[in-house]
Amino acid sequence: MSKIMFHGRECPHCRVMMPLVERLEKETGVMLEKHEVWHDEKNADMMRSYRSIIAPKCGGQLRVPTFLDTETNDLMCGEVEYEKLREWGTKK
Amino acid sequence: MKKYWRCFVCNDIHYGVKPPEVCPTCRAVNAFVEVSSAEAGQVSSPRKTLMDKEGFREAIDSFASRNEFQVNPDREKVDLLLEGIFENEKTCGLKYCPCRLRTKEFEEDLKIVCPCNFLIHETYKGKPEGECWCGLFIRRRS
Repeated sequence: MSKIMFHGRECPHCRVMMPLVERLEKETGVMLEKHEVWHDEKNADMMRSYRSIIAPKCGGQLRVPTFLDTETNDLMCGEVEYEKLREWGTKK
Repeated sequence: MKKYWRCFVCNDIHYGVKPPEVCPTCRAVNAFVEVSSAEAGQVSSPRKTLMDKEGFREAIDSFASRNEFQVNPDREKVDLLLEGIFENEKTCGLKYCPCRLRTKEFEEDLKIVCPCNFLIHETYKGKPEGECWCGLFIRRRS
């Protein structure tokens, strides 16, 4: 699986995005690997391992939510409209 | 490079490149002398103060009242953020932002201790409805 969502349990943006992700999965069949990074150190380290890819496109930091395609390095961070999420999710 | 400074009158500790000309606590002039981090810690640590969520809420309200921004009026959102901030303090030692992950580089991670310097962030700077990344602070609505 190449499409990943990094999120945090107490992050309000992540809470907003989660139902949109579920809608994306339901409508398109595209499944995202979801990694909570505040309460799971393995997931946090995994996100840190992508720092050189994520940070330049996310204000120099490791912000959540981050949506990353590990095959193409195509990524977005923060709250986005459903259409934008869908565009990212269905891009080959 | 930042250093520690101690007011020789009232023992205020200042951490910065230069000492304040006037001590903000006792108003003594040119009263700060450079000290070691160990001395700064010794002088300030016996008077540790605890701050719970309500105390932090009051502190950021007071901080915001002196600035162009305010604490988000969305109480539910703020409660969730404070939960994350205090969880981070408990597990990681400082009130790190619950919407940005620590890199594990101490100096870098100081940039995400709440309140961070969000005035320079693209989510706030130049935006009439700007807010910090997590949404705890928003530009004051007129």
